[in-house]
Amino acid sequence: MSPILLVARRDYFAYMGAWGFWLSLLTAPLIIGVLLFGPILLARAEPPRVLTIVAERSTDADAVRAAFEASALRDARGGISAYLGAAAPQVQAEAIAAFDAAPNREAAIAAARAVVTERAPNVLTAYPSLSPRYQIVDPPAAQIEAMRPYLDGTRTLPDGRSIYGALHLRRDAAGAPVIEYWSTALNHDEPTNVAHRAMRLEMQREALAAQGLAPSEAERLQAFDPQIVQFDPRSSGSQGVTLRERAPFFAALALAFILWSIVFSVANMLLNGVIEEKSNKILDTLLTSVSPMQILIGKLLGVAAVSATLFLFWGALGGTLLTIAAERASDNIFGQIAEAFLDPRLLVAFFIGFVAGYLMYGAIFLALGSLCESVQDAQTLLGPVALVLAMPMMLITPALDNPNAPIIEAASWIPIFTPFLMLIRAPSGLAWTEIAGQSALMFATVVVILYLASLVFKAGVVDQVSLSSWRGRKTKG
Amino acid sequence: MDAALEAEGLVKRYGQRTAVQDLSFRVPAGSIYGVLGPNGAGKSSTLRMLVGVLRPTAGRISVLGGPANRETMKRVGYLPEERGLYRGMSARSAIAYLARLKGTPGNVAFKRADKLLTDHGLGKVRRKKIKTMSKGMAQKVQVLAALAHEPELIIFDEPFSGLDPVNQRVLEETIRAQAAAGRTILFSTHVMEHAERLCDRILLIAQGKAAFEGTVRDALALAPSLAVLETDGDYDLGPVLAPLGFQWTEELGEHGNRRWRVRLENGHGSRQLLQACVEASAPLSLFEPARASLHEAFVALVGDKVAVSAAE
Repeated sequence: MSPILLVARRDYFAYMGAWGFWLSLLTAPLIIGVLLFGPILLARAEPPRVLTIVAERSTDADAVRAAFEASALRDARGGISAYLGAAAPQVQAEAIAAFDAAPNREAAIAAARAVVTERAPNVLTAYPSLSPRYQIVDPPAAQIEAMRPYLDGTRTLPDGRSIYGALHLRRDAAGAPVIEYWSTALNHDEPTNVAHRAMRLEMQREALAAQGLAPSEAERLQAFDPQIVQFDPRSSGSQGVTLRERAPFFAALALAFILWSIVFSVANMLLNGVIEEKSNKILDTLLTSVSPMQILIGKLLGVAAVSATLFLFWGALGGTLLTIAAERASDNIFGQIAEAFLDPRLLVAFFIGFVAGYLMYGAIFLALGSLCESVQDAQTLLGPVALVLAMPMMLITPALDNPNAPIIEAASWIPIFTPFLMLIRAPSGLAWTEIAGQSALMFATVVVILYLASLVFKAGVVDQVSLSSWRGRKTKG
Repeated sequence: MDAALEAEGLVKRYGQRTAVQDLSFRVPAGSIYGVLGPNGAGKSSTLRMLVGVLRPTAGRISVLGGPANRETMKRVGYLPEERGLYRGMSARSAIAYLARLKGTPGNVAFKRADKLLTDHGLGKVRRKKIKTMSKGMAQKVQVLAALAHEPELIIFDEPFSGLDPVNQRVLEETIRAQAAAGRTILFSTHVMEHAERLCDRILLIAQGKAAFEGTVRDALALAPSLAVLETDGDYDLGPVLAPLGFQWTEELGEHGNRRWRVRLENGHGSRQLLQACVEASAPLSLFEPARASLHEAFVALVGDKVAVSAAE
């Protein structure tokens, strides 16, 4: 067996023998699952937030209460429409018409469900269970000051629920509405936005009434609301964009985060591996048999084999689960996101991104590790390096908003960003030629980085150049 | 006799600092060769250059008739000064792994590892992980790892440091056994006694330069003659010796007496010394000529100041 393979083999079995490896192997899918679906499940599991309204004028309270009910109705309509657009587009129009014809929210949800039950019973299991985000309750005290104990969590309502926030609606000397929002959730302003819109409409109604317009006519004018439908020009169908079309972007985002985490986890393994060897003082023994370049490549191969083992396990597990979800649950959000993960363009971008990203960042981390005598040394070096490594993450959100923005296109040709941006841009129709070109550039960079890393590695392990020696020289100088 | 190793005009500089300066020596095949000198003399730099880990700034090295490259190094066993093994590996795996890196086939490497460990009293712990072993035991494993590929030339850098006296003796036996098997051994040490007991030839280095190269006997011949004296009780011989220009070291005698090792040089012989003691009515309980040690030869060669400052 060649020295490179012997080094790789030893590193591979050393990692396989560590309990941390098995912990990662088994817990990572669980953690990724929680990260992917946790926010959705949490949002669904959260009970409605309890709001209360204290108002000088009952008409103001009624207007704001109605606005919250309208908001809940809109959310339910949107949820059902999105679900039907993905799961049973053929009954979407009919079900939404039934929804719109119903007198209130509960009746509207039931009416739409009845259409689905009759016309598309096979997708009924995934019918969304929609609960309103807010529930308005009568104030437990007449004055806002007296409600403080309820708002700061000291007291609860008779049924045991806590009040999330209170809207105090009053009028100033000129009769203009003033909205005071009392809540310990200081960063959440949705309730004030809803109340603000409602009170603006109320002010408009009052102004229109002052001009002699009948209240019913004013209400009709305020109800004008254009319909919004989004289309994808690449799609030949007449249907607007649904979750099914958006799912690949969510999948790409998730894969980009997974790729980033894995690349830096395994690169960190390399860094710690070299530091351990330096601190174990074994490198001098190895260097009589193996060149620094052979050690570098052997270590990269060893950890690559560890990654391959992880991917084989995770890939088999994830692939099976995603395939089952895509086949059996294609009518809901999970099934459609699962289907998006299996897009060949995404999988190719992920594979290429991992190989090139791992080799680039792995070689850089190995070289850095060779300059460190201890983990403490590594931490001082990794500070600035981490800032550079965080840059691709900063580009992910703008790339998701506009994958073809000039800055994103330009950044995706910078090899250290390419693995992540290629993934994010893949669902927006990234051409195979562009994938090939960026991959070629990445792998050319890999060769250059490997060469440079081997020089640094050689200086670190053979000539004993280290951060400490630099510091020593600076001190002496 | 053929040379197993030859170095000519070796120089190693680290920036402005010269660690090794114009070093030339020849290690005969089948011999035990010592590279001696105090800490910081340049021994490790020299040995790292010999095994190809460090590139010389100048000079030429020939190892087993070829250049000091990795192909030649497959026939060389090396124990570095800074020792270490993979802590998670078992003793037999560590030995076999390093032997395999030197080109020994896997099954042969494991068989040899088992045999070496058994022969050296470590058979029972051969599957124990290095991290669970004592420092001395791990060091023995590393010594065996340097031998497992059955090298023709064995280079040990400070092999005795970190070992207790019993294991030092065991290692001396191992070195002798390897030499008896026809292998060439070169080792560095700052403890002259080991070299004195083991070496056929030595290279004395001080401040990166060769102070002496030759046989141990030749080195000892360069040292001054000595006389060993013991005085009863607390009697201080210093005031007797100093006016006459004698140089001496003092140690504790076997029976609690004060013992004086006096250098007989600069025209001062044993007769003058004895006469001075008699004239001073010194209570002598012992007066005998003694053989100089290698350390004394080293001091004589490089001077007290160099020996002491280098050691510091």
